This record gives sequence, structure tokens and C-alpha cells, in this order.
Amino acid sequence: MFRKLSIALALILISAVYAQTTVTWWDFLGGGDGIRMKKLIDDFNASHDDIKIDGTTLEWGPSYYTKVQTSAAVGEQPDIMTYHLSRYTLAIPTGVLRPFSEEELASVGLSTSDYNAAAMQAATGSDGQIYGVPLDIHAIVLYYNKEILGAAGLLDDNGHPNFTSSLEDFNAGMEKIKAAGSIPLAYPGDNGTTWRVAYSMIGQQGAQLLDENNKVAAIEELTNAVSAIRGWMDNGLGTPNTEYPAAIALFTSGEASMMLNGVWEVPTMVDLAAKGELFDWGAVEIPTWYAEPATWADSHAFAIPNSSAKPISDEKLAAVLEVIAWMSKNSLFWATAGHIPAYSPVTDSDDYKAMEPNATYAVLGEHAFFDPKSNLAGAAGSPLYDAVAQYLMPAVNGQLSVDEAIEMFVEDIDSQ
Amino acid sequence: MSTTHKTLPSPKSPVPSKPWRGRKLKMWRDAFLLIAPFFLLYFLFFLFPTIRAIQLSFTDAPLVGQGNFIGLENYQKLLNSKDFWRALRNTGYFVLLTVVPNTAVGLIFALMVVRLNRLRSIVLSAFFLPNMLTVSVVTLIWQWILDSRFGIVNEIASMISGQEIHYSIFRDPNWAMVAIAFITIWWTVGFNMLLFIAGLQGISKEYYEAAQIDGATGSQIFWRITWPLLWPVTSLVLTLQLIAQFKIFDQIWLLTRGGPFKRTMPMLQLVYQEAFQEFKGGYASAIAMVLFLIILIASLVQYRLLRTGSR
Repeated sequence: MFRKLSIALALILISAVYAQTTVTWWDFLGGGDGIRMKKLIDDFNASHDDIKIDGTTLEWGPSYYTKVQTSAAVGEQPDIMTYHLSRYTLAIPTGVLRPFSEEELASVGLSTSDYNAAAMQAATGSDGQIYGVPLDIHAIVLYYNKEILGAAGLLDDNGHPNFTSSLEDFNAGMEKIKAAGSIPLAYPGDNGTTWRVAYSMIGQQGAQLLDENNKVAAIEELTNAVSAIRGWMDNGLGTPNTEYPAAIALFTSGEASMMLNGVWEVPTMVDLAAKGELFDWGAVEIPTWYAEPATWADSHAFAIPNSSAKPISDEKLAAVLEVIAWMSKNSLFWATAGHIPAYSPVTDSDDYKAMEPNATYAVLGEHAFFDPKSNLAGAAGSPLYDAVAQYLMPAVNGQLSVDEAIEMFVEDIDSQ
Repeated sequence: MSTTHKTLPSPKSPVPSKPWRGRKLKMWRDAFLLIAPFFLLYFLFFLFPTIRAIQLSFTDAPLVGQGNFIGLENYQKLLNSKDFWRALRNTGYFVLLTVVPNTAVGLIFALMVVRLNRLRSIVLSAFFLPNMLTVSVVTLIWQWILDSRFGIVNEIASMISGQEIHYSIFRDPNWAMVAIAFITIWWTVGFNMLLFIAGLQGISKEYYEAAQIDGATGSQIFWRITWPLLWPVTSLVLTLQLIAQFKIFDQIWLLTRGGPFKRTMPMLQLVYQEAFQEFKGGYASAIAMVLFLIILIASLVQYRLLRTGSR
């Protein structure tokens, strides 16, 4: 009797395990996009009886990537995680990422050609294998106050700034705003913004920052870029020595009429506008200060941690692929966090084209300029970001001359 | 219940009389058993990691894993690295800015507070309050006080000078370290003060009464009675300060990240970045070992100096 009962019990347990696969999920998404990702996870769980995502949000920053490394080493890694594509060159040689095959993607109806080409390229290793599936592209945009710019005659018929086709043009427009009594540009004086703006400017001059030996190649272009930003500060057009949150406050309070910042601040504006606490605002692709359009971009991708201690099982792999496919196809909601979905069928949809200001700046996806494919690069703690913080940030904000800063920057990077 | 009764020793059974040696052995065994839990934890979480770090410093280990033995290569690389010498200089500068000033301010505050009667506990807790804050709260408070756009200090300075001032001290290469030292003292001086107050209260009142009868002046009383009798506490505070300030990292990381242009980058930041950002476990261990040696030598030298100071 007892034996029969226990066999029956075991059978029930086994079938329950088969019925539902739990996918352990790690991300670093706090703030506005974190709330949106939680809703996506809840929606996924509600629509799937066989798979349950068990999500954990860890702190954004170097500690996240350290934790991924150490957990994979002892077999305690999650089944799926978010990862910055800018850190891929650093990550792939450490073996922490498990490659995806085309067949695996095809098993859930995905194909590499469905994704933004630049992002997919950034997710591909030097061995030609795909190490992640991009979820989005995030970049910097130009936020602007339509009321002030309109009054100064700086908007075109579509309500977009009409002075963004060259550096001279842009500076002249900013002088007009200054003459009208407003701070033209809220510029967050942190290393992230300085990297994103200066790196975009290097791309706009048609250059690559590093050569194949990881040495700084675009010294002249970098000098041009840093001098241009410093010029805004020296001429009273920008906001030197302003912390990141202070820059946002300057823009949202109407004291500054434009801001250079990431698309991830779009929810801040949308929420304030919904409460009726914001002026008529817009966001466009950053100006083409130099010869060709280019915008610094990074991407959140889905990756599977590689662990020799405890590799992912076939069953979990199938579930993870299903999660990735669902998230890609439902990334329209992710776009409300400001990010541009990397899955092209979503950005091609009419629903996305009706989303503003997202649809307006989505064109930057075609000019996305990803971080150098170098183990010196990568968001959240890397030698390049650190060197920008140490030397370029003071050069932009006035504590160091541009020439000295470039010299120190080049010496630092070239000695790595 | 019944089982517990069984195991209890019967009161009738006589205590076996053991020879002295046997009792001593038993004593040692008991003593060892009593310290075993501590020793186990101490070995597992202190000794073992220390030994591993020493061993790692001779390898090219990544953050996770064993790595290959490379002899003194890490140390050679270290001595040739500009960043290492820069970090050493910065750490030394910070130690200079904090150890003696923090001790002196603590002593001065303690001397003032012990004079109070009814207000003493209120004033004491007011000075001690910052000590209870975590480092992230402390840095956040000062970031906002000194913020270039919305901080109260710039606001007041603008009001007084009549022109808009947007000064950011944490970005100023000459003053950033001084500002961090000031904040560190503001944050931690309460603890030193407590130690000094305890020391001051331990000095017998009779000395002061006798001195007053003999007509000693205030400064004579301080230098002839208070200072020498307080010296054991002073040297303890100095030693604790020296060790704590050599390990500076948190405030700097949160306030300046070692900038501008590495003017405030301390030794521990190098360790952190090499280990946890660039995954160079071996090299980071070598830096940590050098820092360990420096603290050890500095503490020994200070101990000798302070001992002669007390004579």
C-alpha cells in the first residue's frame, strides 16, 4: 500500500516538474525600464503555463558582471541574463557567454536577419558565432523644449530643431537661445555622457577611435570632439560641472532649453508630461555636427551564461529560447522605456510608427555607432570609460586643457 | 524527558581522581574544544583567504580560477606602473590630511564637551550622529550640499558675491582630496571624541585640584597633566586612524572615482579595478600585498615613535 502510494506521489511530482520549467533570470534594469521589464515578465508568465520566469534584478554596474563571472564558475549562474553588447569583446574571451546556433534560433522562429544589423554585428564574436540576442538599441538623443525653441524661431514645420546640420549651425542656434535668456544646453557632466557625445562625434568624422592594436588612432578627431564640447562650456552655451540628475532638473524645470542624454530618460519626460508638469517637449536624433550622421549606441542583449561546472540542460535551453522569442516579439512595450527595439518587425509595425517621440529618433538605429570592438571598451567599468572619466571629463568641464587631456588619455590607453 | 535523565551523571558516583598530568591534558583538550569554533571560522574566513591572496599574487590568475605561477612578474609590473606610484602618493596625502587632524579635532571637541554638564549628552550625540550613517548616505549628503547647481554652499556663495557661482569642489584637482578628507573627519570624528572623553574621565580629579591649589594656569594643567595622562588613548586613536585611513576607498569611489585625472585615486581603488573590473586577480593580489606591507611597516614605525613619545 505504502509503496503504491509513494510511486503515485513520485509520478505526480515528476509530471509537475515536466509541466513547468522555471527559467532563472538576471537583469540589471532598475528605474523606469525595470518597471516595464517586470510587467513584460508578468505578462509572459500569465500567458505561459509551461514556463515560469523567476526574475531577479541586480545592481547596474561592474558588480553585476563580476557576479555573473563568479556564479558561472561554480555552476550557480542564471539560465538567461541581460548583457551590454559593448562588453562583449571583454566577455567572450573569458568564456562566460554560451554561443547560439542559427538552428536554435530557428527553432523558435527567429532569424539573425530579423534584428538590427549593427546590433547583431555587435553580438557576433570574432569567431563568427552569435553570443546573444539583442533586445534593444539605446543611444543618446537631443531633448528640446518646443516652447522656447519655437519662440526663438528654431523649429521647422514638423516641430523639429532646424539648426542641427553642422557644428557651426548648432552653435549659432544655441547663441540665439542664449540671447533669448535661456541656458541653451543641459549637459550632464558625467563620464558616460562625455564618452557618448565625444564618441558619436568621432563616428561623425568617419573615424575609428582605436586601431587593431588597441592604440588610439583618431587623435585628431578626438581632439576636435572634446574641443567642441569644451567650446560650449566656455561660451556659456552648456552647463559645466553639472551632475547627471542636476542636468535633468535644469531641463525639466525649463531653465535649459535642450539636453543631450540617453533615450532611457524618455519615461521621465513622459511621466512628467502625463502629470501636466512638463512643457511641450520633443526628442530627435543628435545633430550631425560633422560630415555624416552617427550616434553612439549600445544594446541590451539576452545571453546564456556558459558554465563548465553546470551547463544548461536541453529542456531549460528550449524554455530560454521561447522566452527570448516572446520578448523580441513583444518588445513594443519595451519601447515605452525609450529604447529602440532591435527586432525589426516591431520597429516596422504601424503601432511603433505611431509612438512619439520614439518613431522620430528611431532613424538613429541606421547610424548606430557601437563601442570599439576592444577588450578596453564596455559600459559599467572598463579602461576606456575610466580614462574618459579621468581625463576627458575634466577637459570638458574646464579643469584641464584639451591638449593635456588628450595626451594623458592617449598615454593611458596606449599603455594598457 | 526520560532519556535526559538517563544521561545525567548519578550524584552517587564518585569523581574519579586523576593524576595531575591527565587533568592537565583534559584541560588542554577542553580549552581547544572551546576555541575550536572560533579558530575554525578564523581559519576559514581570515587565514585561508590571506594565504590564498599571497599565493595568488605570484600567479596570473583571473578573478576566478588558479592561474599559472609567474614568480615576481606582478611585483615587477607594479613597480614600473605609474598608476601604482600615483596611488601610493595619493594615499599618503590622504593619510597626512586625516590622521593627525582627525585626532586633534576629536581631542579638542572632547575637551570642550567634558566641560558641559546638562547639555553634555545632547552635544555628544549631535557630534556622534554622523558616525552612525553609512558611507553612501554621507557622500550623498555632501554631494547635494556642495552640488554645483542646486547645492546650498554655491547658493550662499552666489548670494554673498552677487554673481552666479557653480563651483564643484570634487572636480577641482587641487581641492578634491581636501574636501574628501574634510568629509571623512566630519563623519568619523565622533568616535575619536568618545574615546577621548572616556580617557579624560579616567584621569583622577585630585590632580586637577592639587594643580589649582598650586596656582597652575590652564595651559600648564593641559600640558603637564591632561596630555601625558591621556597619551595612551591618543596613541591608540592615532594608530587606529593610521590603519583606517590607509584603507581609504569608499568615500573616494562614491565622490570622485579617483578623479580628476587620478588626483584622488587611492591604492585600494587600483586593487578593486584590477580585480573586479578587469578580472586580473593575480595582479590585484600583488597590489593588496604591497598595501598590506606598507600598513604593517607604518604601524610598527608609529608604534615605536609613540612609545618614545610617552616617555
